[in-house]
Amino acid sequence: MGFRYVLGGFGAACAAWGGWLLFSQPEPWRIAVWLGAAVVVHDGLVAPLVMALAVLVALAGLRLRGVVRAALAVAGSLTVIALPPLLRPAGVANPTVLPLDYPRNWLLAMAAIALLTVAHVGARAAARRVRRRH
Amino acid sequence: MRFTLPSRPPVTFKARLHDARTATAIGRWLGLAMAVCFATGVLSHYLQHPPGWLADRLPSRPYWGYRLTQGLHVASGIAAVPLLLAKLWAVYPRLFAWPPVRSALHALERISVAVLVAAGLFELFTGLLNTFQWYPWPFNFVPVHYAVAWLLLGSLILHVAVQWPKIRDHFTLRSPGTLALPEADGPDRRQLLLGVTAAVGAVTLTTVGQSVTALAPLELFGPRSPSHGVQGLPVNRTATAAGVTEASLADWRLTVDGPRPYTLTLDGLRAMPQHEVTLPIACVEGWSKSAHWTGVRVRDLLERAGGGPGARARVVSVEAAGAYRVMEMGRLYAQDPLTLLALRLNGEVLSLDHGYPARIIAPNRPGVLQTKWVGRLEVV
Repeated sequence: MGFRYVLGGFGAACAAWGGWLLFSQPEPWRIAVWLGAAVVVHDGLVAPLVMALAVLVALAGLRLRGVVRAALAVAGSLTVIALPPLLRPAGVANPTVLPLDYPRNWLLAMAAIALLTVAHVGARAAARRVRRRH
Repeated sequence: MRFTLPSRPPVTFKARLHDARTATAIGRWLGLAMAVCFATGVLSHYLQHPPGWLADRLPSRPYWGYRLTQGLHVASGIAAVPLLLAKLWAVYPRLFAWPPVRSALHALERISVAVLVAAGLFELFTGLLNTFQWYPWPFNFVPVHYAVAWLLLGSLILHVAVQWPKIRDHFTLRSPGTLALPEADGPDRRQLLLGVTAAVGAVTLTTVGQSVTALAPLELFGPRSPSHGVQGLPVNRTATAAGVTEASLADWRLTVDGPRPYTLTLDGLRAMPQHEVTLPIACVEGWSKSAHWTGVRVRDLLERAGGGPGARARVVSVEAAGAYRVMEMGRLYAQDPLTLLALRLNGEVLSLDHGYPARIIAPNRPGVLQTKWVGRLEVV
């Protein structure tokens, strides 16, 4: 019990130090707006969207749920990290920044995920059919 | 008018796996990623902005140290993206806990969780955008990313302390809390965790090529690629961005200041003993690549100006402005035989974008401190 209070106190002290560092920045309220916006955008937009997708995954039935969910998790995560290079406004006169063809790479990744998912589901269905026949 | 809470919550969740075992299983990996990210980030912060008492104690070895730690910093941050999203999905129903506040202590706990979520999302968002040199916000990235890192670490430790009984009760498959959950959820949860693991693997493999050159062929979404560069090396700040042109370097001289000051032309520098080293450029934005450098040892230049074995260096670029125009170099860096004032890169004369006519290359240091277009060296 005592250990939890010590740990919690240490955590609160670190957070307070961070808060003080933030507060000593010029116009700290602007940073607070961005911090608050992060929560609002996630809890109000991203999370409900994911919950809605999860309902669709549940409709897929027990047998397919796992693989469909994994495919969506991979596709969603790759899309999140691909958004900055896809959306970043151009105008850097430095050809070594953003040197790749990001739209093409994103499409390639999505196609690969779809292909792997279909192949996986197909292979499992085939295996089941073989088992049933014997 | 009195306001009474409805006795039933307005939102309920029937979906499964929003339980403490799922949160614990994902949370410990997320906690580990954030711990690595914090430790490597603080290290990078002090390497880049060392306080006076530390400057002479910063080690120049291992020469690949910063390449490893900053590569880890960015990779652990990217790996934390799917982990954080999955963790927040698992605990999302708790946002609608009913009644919203039970006591003052409960209110404080909920506020600390809000701070934790805000700081976590903020750090991953700003960090990821920084690797793309994209700054759409109205504040200075470095001090704010650093301050929120402490906010995140602190609220994370506090969160672990508050949730400790639950974490302990769900830590393993045989823990009492895990066993009390519906048995039918077991295989479903395992598949969920496999999916999250696949997502972590996917985001890592498609970006880590920016720092692990051998994995460059797998890189799809990194902001830099080791295979795209001038003279085999990416450029962080171009000569154009720094306002340096061939014309502005027409009567370039290296001035070395100290007890016995002197100046050197480029031919004079080329006439001094040349050394070849293989050192990586490791950028604070996570990318890194090794290269062959040829030039004069900084140690030799300082010694010729009367600097003793304890001499430090101040290096000044000819660029007109820039946050790192003047760079201080601690004793261990300045005296390391690997630290060069380089004139050649991968067998060719330095290109203008890589710092022609002369640039610093030192082991175990952030890329922004590898000063380009050096015009002045001072014994300190």
